Amino acid sequence: MVKKKTAKFLAFRYKILALIFVILAGGLVLLPKYEKHEGIKSEELLSNIISPERYISTDKLAHKLINQDPSYLLIDVRDEESYTKYTLPNAVNIPLAKLLDEDFEMFLNQKQYNVVLFSNDNFYADQAWVLCNRLGYKNLNVLKGGINQWYKTIINPEKPLENMPAEAFELYTFRKAASMYFGVAYPEQYKTATVAKKEPAKKVITVKKKKKAPAEGGC
Amino acid sequence: MGPLIPNGVIPAEWDSIIAILIGIVFGFVLEASGFSSSRKLAGVFYGYDFAVLKVFFTAALVSLIGMYYMDYLGYVDITQMYVHPTYLWGAIVGGVIMGAGFVAGGFCPGTSLCAVAIGKIDAIVYVVGIMIGVFIFSELYFLFQPIYEGSFMGNVTLVDSFGVNPYWFIFIFTIVGILLFAISDKIRAKVKKIFY
Amino acid sequence: MKELEKTKRISIASTLFILIILIAVLSYKRPKHLYKANSKITLEKMISNDYFVSLDEINNPDYVLIDVRSQFEFEKGHLENALNIYAPEILSDDNTAVFEELKEKNKTAILYGKNPNDVNAPFMLLYQLGYDNLKILTVENSYNENKLITKNTEIEKSVADVNAFIAESIKKASINSDKEVVVKKVVKKVITVKKKKKAPAEGGC
Repeated sequence: MVKKKTAKFLAFRYKILALIFVILAGGLVLLPKYEKHEGIKSEELLSNIISPERYISTDKLAHKLINQDPSYLLIDVRDEESYTKYTLPNAVNIPLAKLLDEDFEMFLNQKQYNVVLFSNDNFYADQAWVLCNRLGYKNLNVLKGGINQWYKTIINPEKPLENMPAEAFELYTFRKAASMYFGVAYPEQYKTATVAKKEPAKKVITVKKKKKAPAEGGC
Repeated sequence: MGPLIPNGVIPAEWDSIIAILIGIVFGFVLEASGFSSSRKLAGVFYGYDFAVLKVFFTAALVSLIGMYYMDYLGYVDITQMYVHPTYLWGAIVGGVIMGAGFVAGGFCPGTSLCAVAIGKIDAIVYVVGIMIGVFIFSELYFLFQPIYEGSFMGNVTLVDSFGVNPYWFIFIFTIVGILLFAISDKIRAKVKKIFY
Repeated sequence: MKELEKTKRISIASTLFILIILIAVLSYKRPKHLYKANSKITLEKMISNDYFVSLDEINNPDYVLIDVRSQFEFEKGHLENALNIYAPEILSDDNTAVFEELKEKNKTAILYGKNPNDVNAPFMLLYQLGYDNLKILTVENSYNENKLITKNTEIEKSVADVNAFIAESIKKASINSDKEVVVKKVVKKVITVKKKKKAPAEGGC
């Protein structure tokens, strides 16, 4: 008896399957729509934002530049005018307004370099960083304090006072040497010997374009 | 999260291995559902068996609906999906030639290989024919090139080219598909039964 | 009987199909906070620079001050009538409710912190979540003998002309010595990265 019933029910099986299809397709039409989430979750973004991990100090950057660390790529997010006026050695100019241009994506969304974003302060660089971080770009850093801090610590380091600890003097010596490397000349430099002023080499950077090879298929 | 390979969840080096696995399963299912029989395949054109039409249409519908559900729920990003580029006239001419070959030979390229695997002689002849066709095409490529590469429309889908809401499109497409199944059933009932 | 055998397969397949969809739907967790502004819109807002408020403009009845520093700092000293929402907790339910309420009442929330850099990132996050009634107070807060001192500052002001400073230093140095400055040029370094190109695999039925 039961078998007969199920057989009767199952006689309609194709109609039932068709109905399921229509219901599922109709469900897609009726489902509430919302703005597509672009990038990482907002909670994750918040925890990235408040962590100071992204900052790189001017001292560390100077050290990397002097040692010509090839894994560092500097990106200047200021406008072109300020960029031509003064920028850090070998920096690439990506004005903030053009940050999301496709041409620049290969600099920002890559795995080869540690990218250091900088501007006059770290305000605009931070904004660029937040936007890129939301899109899930990795290996991005921000120069803490930007060019202003760079000027204050590396280009024109403050001489420590007599009563300061030895570390302060050590830091000062490093910064002074660094400033010489970046083109600042000191009077005493010439009393001892003519120290060559090194001009930092302009680095030509070619970043490979990330190309997703599409998987083709048919039928 | 998905698609898995472009997003690096599965390394791209696994491409070929996964392709082989999917190919094995695909071939098995084709053979298991009787698609290695040229009579069954040709039935679509003579109206006594619509299994091919139903199977491929159902597969398209299931994957389409499933994909859009996964996209809606955030498991897959549909914009990252690979869309085959459209060369309009090339597709039309190629489709007509393939259709003619399908009726005449009773196989489509995939099922012919499937039938070769179970040792059907007509399928072996068919595959040799395919190879000869490939050879002629490659040798005379300079003649066919304008039509082969002409009228390129980019990687577009029907949704893109009509500019309609994809969800409504799927809904209408589903209903059209089901109507097609019903009509094909009616036709089959009218046509004289053939046993094969 | 044969008919029943056939249906078994179909019903198993369809049950599985529906089951998978059900599991997918049920296991789906909708993100609590959804972005309302996409990256492009956000970037346009950021470069428009119309979201700054200076200290003398805050006496507007439509403005509500929000302090994003920690509670400790807040209690040490804060601007008058300011609310305290610590930046790391900005997405908690209570706090988003505050922003939601301000948005409904058409009031503008003025964020401030130790300096503008401090509020920058929280501001951007909130903006992307759709709270467009926000502004940044361009002030710097410091303490002098435990009293809060708030000063206006300028965003991204260049403090010095570095090139001029370097040129000056070279000039000064060369006055002191009559030796010439030798400029050594370092050879250009070219970094090339190999292009990895994969041939797309073609397939067909």
